[in-house]
Amino acid sequence: MAVQQVNAGESKYAESARNFRSNVKRDLANAELRGNFRGAMDYLMDKRKNAFPDSDELETLREQCKLIKQRCLAKLPHLLEQLEDSLTKNGIKVHWAETIDEANGIIAQLIKDKNGATVVKGKSMVSEETALNDYLEERNIECLEADMGEFIVQLAKEHPSHIIIPAIHKNKEQVADLFAEKIPGFERTNDVDKLINEGRRVLRDKFKNADVGITGVNFAVAETGTLCLVENEGNGQMCTAVPDLHIAITGIEKVVEYLDDVPPLLSLLTRSATGQTISTYFNMITKPRQQDEKDGPEEVHLVLLDNGRSQAFADEELRQTLQCIRCGACMNHCPVYTRIGGHAYGTVYPGPIGKIISPHMLGLEATKDLPTASSMCGACGEVCPVKIPIPKLLQRLRQESVKPKGDGPQVMKGQGSNRSTIEAMVWKVWSLMHSYSTIYRMSMWFGTRLRGLMPAKIGVWTSVRTAPKLAPKTLHERVNARNKHAAKKISKQGNQHGSR
Amino acid sequence: MAAVNEISKNARTNILAKLKAQVAGADYDKLPEEPKFTYPEIKQVDSVAKFIENLEMNHAEIVKVTIKNVASVIDDELKKRNIGQLLYGENGQYSAILESYFNNDVKDGAGVQLEKYDFLLTDNKERLFDHCPASFTSSKCSIAATGTIVLWPTVAEPRTLSLVPPVHFVLVDAQNMVSDFATLIKTQQWKDKLPTNALLISGPSKTADIQQTLAYGAHGPKELIVLLLNS
Repeated sequence: MAVQQVNAGESKYAESARNFRSNVKRDLANAELRGNFRGAMDYLMDKRKNAFPDSDELETLREQCKLIKQRCLAKLPHLLEQLEDSLTKNGIKVHWAETIDEANGIIAQLIKDKNGATVVKGKSMVSEETALNDYLEERNIECLEADMGEFIVQLAKEHPSHIIIPAIHKNKEQVADLFAEKIPGFERTNDVDKLINEGRRVLRDKFKNADVGITGVNFAVAETGTLCLVENEGNGQMCTAVPDLHIAITGIEKVVEYLDDVPPLLSLLTRSATGQTISTYFNMITKPRQQDEKDGPEEVHLVLLDNGRSQAFADEELRQTLQCIRCGACMNHCPVYTRIGGHAYGTVYPGPIGKIISPHMLGLEATKDLPTASSMCGACGEVCPVKIPIPKLLQRLRQESVKPKGDGPQVMKGQGSNRSTIEAMVWKVWSLMHSYSTIYRMSMWFGTRLRGLMPAKIGVWTSVRTAPKLAPKTLHERVNARNKHAAKKISKQGNQHGSR
Repeated sequence: MAAVNEISKNARTNILAKLKAQVAGADYDKLPEEPKFTYPEIKQVDSVAKFIENLEMNHAEIVKVTIKNVASVIDDELKKRNIGQLLYGENGQYSAILESYFNNDVKDGAGVQLEKYDFLLTDNKERLFDHCPASFTSSKCSIAATGTIVLWPTVAEPRTLSLVPPVHFVLVDAQNMVSDFATLIKTQQWKDKLPTNALLISGPSKTADIQQTLAYGAHGPKELIVLLLNS
């Protein structure tokens, strides 16, 4: 599950997303993995359900938060400028990056300017998106994940399989094995308290000595210039309070207009994610260390990343993708995610949200299989706290992926890359048949008469099913025959009545 | 750095141009009206109970105190845990009370050594991380609906005072309790005066990252002891 870059200049996740089908086969065959996901998803679904005892309350909150996010997106460029102004006034420096390489380059430079050698990182999916750890390691900068789950997957040289609970694919025995193998002096135990304590011991040492703290951002407030972080462990606070340099990195869609927008979003986020009424810590950072203050970073920087978001923004329907507040509820409720797990997708963001956001980041060519990995059951759309119509967007992406090349405006990178000439022709014929009744009846007549020629094996379909067989006569013919029969009967009865 | 600044400048121009092209001519007065969710009102008499219930659910320990006995309560709790040291803020709101109790050898406080957070963290990380088993801070206010303690760390009580030591005592005055977060930032007009760092704390540090099993003391305090001043 360690992902490797194949093509220069391309995200390493593009190649692993291309392998979606073989990834799925690999992970479906792993019974332990499937058990781990099943247990975790049942737990999380239960937690969310209990966090919203009142369905009216839930619906009001969802509607409110959807409209908050839509308002903030409608004003996005202006809010980004306002955010930059407010942050700059507060003493926080803002940087912009269109691509993951630009973002990594900026961060590496900021670290270099401070002669930094060690970095501790709070949980940040955007830094996973840029593969920041690899980038810094290549430049001899140690970058240690500080969230317990991220720490575990980093030790295992893997990637998060869930956006909220990164090591959800592992059970405690597997974590114990991993610690025993990788942490010198660790006495093997399956006791979760002891395992966490071991992580604490290792990481506190790192917090103490790190030169730089890197985190993500949950909400960036434009009117006040405040970076908000949601967390339970305290690693986010450690990263933002102990080292002298704090670098936050986030996607451009995380900006909200007012401070008043934050409480409803926060409430909906934590309840949807883990069923908590609030997270243990909510950290609001507005300035770097001020005069006479004894702790906190001397410098705070924010890197704003595009990486395909402006492409989604350009289409009114696809723009809804950017409403996401990264709670993970869609994956927790997804029957496909529960079965194949988070690594099979090959992308940073797995599950339903991953299927609709990754095509903008990696292009539809690399991700063309992802929108098809859905039974369209609609669970993701129903639980989404900000009402992103995920099934509808999946359908839209399927359409984009089979669009004829050069047809209409360019909506997204890689559009039309799943188009097959044969499939397109089949549908053309199908549409022709259904537009002209003579052609339809004729082809149906032939079809039913030649039904014996239908092959018994039709590719994937018959691998788990019997082949369908056409009826000997078309429905039209049978209905006609029945009508004729009935008419005869009536006229016969009429004659009988008349003769009485 | 110059090259990086150039990259950022170009990226800024390009991103904003792309986004602005999409919203040109947008009429922001025509955005749909947003329903305002209001939290179920909590009556003043119930709010303390709600606050305690929420915090206890999140594994915090609540001890009701008075201004007179707060120091001796801390003393007892420290002794229960065999802790002989307490880190506290210099010139904090309750510093004088702690000092007069613990620095008086004649009283029961003998044995617990008070230490002031009067140092710069940058040069004293070892000290804070390895030699401070417990800390005390005051709080700005609290939130009943979620069992949350609000801290606005100051020069006197820095933010790491509530984060690094494994046991954190926090004094909460029930008089400053509000019903929910939304009401709090509105009534106190936070948007005009946010400090360097504002913190909402709703329990001891925790994680469920290993097989959904809750464990406390992931990185922050293992124990959060709330001293509730119900005046």
